[in-house]
Amino acid sequence: MFPETAQCLKAAAPLFSQTVLLKDLSRLSTHGGGSHLQARRHLSISRCLTTKVRPVRTPRERVEIPGLEAVTYGEKMHYVPGLSKPFHPQWERSYKDPGHYRSPPAHEMPLFKDRSCFVFNQRTSALEGVLQALWLTKTKLIPSLPPQLLSLSENPANQIPDQDERVQNAIKHARFWDTTEERPGKERYSNTMMVNLLHLCATLQSSHPAIGRRIQAEKCSLATTWKRGEDLFQIRGQNGLLHTCMDPLPEVSGKQEVSDTADHVLETFYPVSPTINLQKVNVYKEEINCSGFRDDYPYPHAHTLFFLEGADANCKLRPDQFRAKMLMFTFGNALVRAQKLYGPQRVLDRPVTVQAVGTNGRIFQFMVFQLNTTDLSGDDGIKNQVWLDEDVELYDFAKVRPLIKRKQVKVPAGLAGYKPEVFSKFLSLYLHGAV
Amino acid sequence: MMALSCLTRALRSMTLSQPALLSSQGVAQTKLAPHVTGVVLNQCRGFLTTASLKQNKTQWKLREKYTIKPIGMKKTGGRDYTGKVRTHGIGGGHKQKYRMIDFQRLRYEPTKVDQPFDEKVVEVRYDPCRSANIAMVAGGSRMRWIIATENMQPGDVIKTSAVIGRMAVSANEGDAYPLGALPVGSLVNNLEIQPGKGSEYIRAAGTSGVLLRKVNGTAIIQLPSKQQVQVLETCMVTVGRVSNIDHNKRIIGKAGRNRWLGIRPSSGLWQRKGGWAGRKIKPLPPMKVYVNLPSISAS
Repeated sequence: MFPETAQCLKAAAPLFSQTVLLKDLSRLSTHGGGSHLQARRHLSISRCLTTKVRPVRTPRERVEIPGLEAVTYGEKMHYVPGLSKPFHPQWERSYKDPGHYRSPPAHEMPLFKDRSCFVFNQRTSALEGVLQALWLTKTKLIPSLPPQLLSLSENPANQIPDQDERVQNAIKHARFWDTTEERPGKERYSNTMMVNLLHLCATLQSSHPAIGRRIQAEKCSLATTWKRGEDLFQIRGQNGLLHTCMDPLPEVSGKQEVSDTADHVLETFYPVSPTINLQKVNVYKEEINCSGFRDDYPYPHAHTLFFLEGADANCKLRPDQFRAKMLMFTFGNALVRAQKLYGPQRVLDRPVTVQAVGTNGRIFQFMVFQLNTTDLSGDDGIKNQVWLDEDVELYDFAKVRPLIKRKQVKVPAGLAGYKPEVFSKFLSLYLHGAV
Repeated sequence: MMALSCLTRALRSMTLSQPALLSSQGVAQTKLAPHVTGVVLNQCRGFLTTASLKQNKTQWKLREKYTIKPIGMKKTGGRDYTGKVRTHGIGGGHKQKYRMIDFQRLRYEPTKVDQPFDEKVVEVRYDPCRSANIAMVAGGSRMRWIIATENMQPGDVIKTSAVIGRMAVSANEGDAYPLGALPVGSLVNNLEIQPGKGSEYIRAAGTSGVLLRKVNGTAIIQLPSKQQVQVLETCMVTVGRVSNIDHNKRIIGKAGRNRWLGIRPSSGLWQRKGGWAGRKIKPLPPMKVYVNLPSISAS
């Protein structure tokens, strides 16, 4: 909105009705630069439109003196030089209209606090990636999956009949057959592949009845708080796909290993502070601890979280940042459970274990997180543990058309380079706790 | 909506027999003063219709909060706020996004004022808006873009300090110090003329100034144009040459590359060369002093 037009229109106030003028001025000024993309007919009173815009000085502050009331020209209905400008209080609707609601500024909100809080949400891209997430969650990283998990899938009783063939069919369905177009897009095939693999694992329910004590849930909101040093941290967001179970997962590492983590020193990354890239808020609910379910939910224990890289189209995370996001949300789910069961700020006798699988349709990241302590304020003491298997490829290529260079087929069409051990890891994570 | 109501009011006034008022606003107001304000009045001024008026307002430059996200830019084509060409030879070219560069190197975080701080270089990349490369640095809880120096690599740690000690600091390339803390003869760039204002000099690719001497509270620097400048010694400056040192050795190669850069061809009109043409050999201009030195008054 041109300031000059605004001034002219304000001066010509008697020509138009007052309320229309103020409403339009305020509405047009809040639009800012939004609606100015197209050329608009500018209908105004005749005066030059291309003059330089003078900077608007803030109007003189109005001082109310109780004994002396200013004589205004409001009653005269027209401007009189010498009399002061009448003051009209901002009109407010007497009823609540959700279509025209302006939120108050941050410091007037009821939940405003002086102490700021750092929030990690689904779109946060941590600069230091997994290192930053490890520091924030006070965790020790073990770069491979625990061996007792891997041995689960080697047992022939735990394998699906025709496992390799069925998995390859599942991949082909997700990558080739699931569309009427030439090839399905990445979001679609990664989602379909996840669903297909889970379905394959669930076919073992006939031989493993404990699988029936689990349920899937999507888009449940997670919120939890913890203190680290002098800063307050929160995780808030919606979990993508969550498997919950009636019974908690057994702990992965024994008491000896847990007490050995006390000697581990967390890696810092000076000069970058661990709060970098986290959203700093002053309006938040203190001590919020919400798993997304009510307390009487029959499947309260989080078993596995599934993350898809293409879930949020606006947010593209690098592999390191994606793993950090997996770690933070797994930690969040474990922390919510622990705080509900045992209360805040203590070392847990029975560690809480949560698993996570992240994929982009071809490359998988497997994670097992064990929460040993909720006492996260200091840097010393028992740490949590995470076993992370990063960047395992389920297959090399899934090409619709073969890659031909110089009349030689480099990569044939169809599925190429399938690796069966990756699905056995997936299956062992799935069967953990049900065997 | 507002425009539409103006239009309908104007058109309604045209249909009525009363002539439209073209005199000054004061006459209109005095004439219509007895009317009640709530009534929509018949008189309305003649209206102008002009399209594309938003073009002369640079709305994209109005953002106040700093961000590292690139901002979409609108090209002006050499036109000023009146819409006429003010600078010839500008127009077209590849679309560019503006990255907000923080030229004030000594910007403390809100909680840690007056403490020298380190920053880590995260990324060094090409900037379409300038000849030098830019570097994303992260320090504390914030990230910002700065002009990269010659040998800056991702992973370097650069220091910024405002402390002037008695001994000169042995500065590494990329660090920022006040002029009073640097040894004489060091190559510097991103020079501030007034302390705290932000650097305005020596920012182009491959340029560097030389700290010539330090004279009681001020320092004299030679700019890349050999002009000498005297500034306060508390002005911040970064050490080293600006990145992209081979920028002046590049060959454009074809007219099309100039057009990609947004440079339109110059006028083909042959003009008789007068006194303005040709190489000039002049003595250096006197040293420019940006310090308010106390004047010596004869007592």
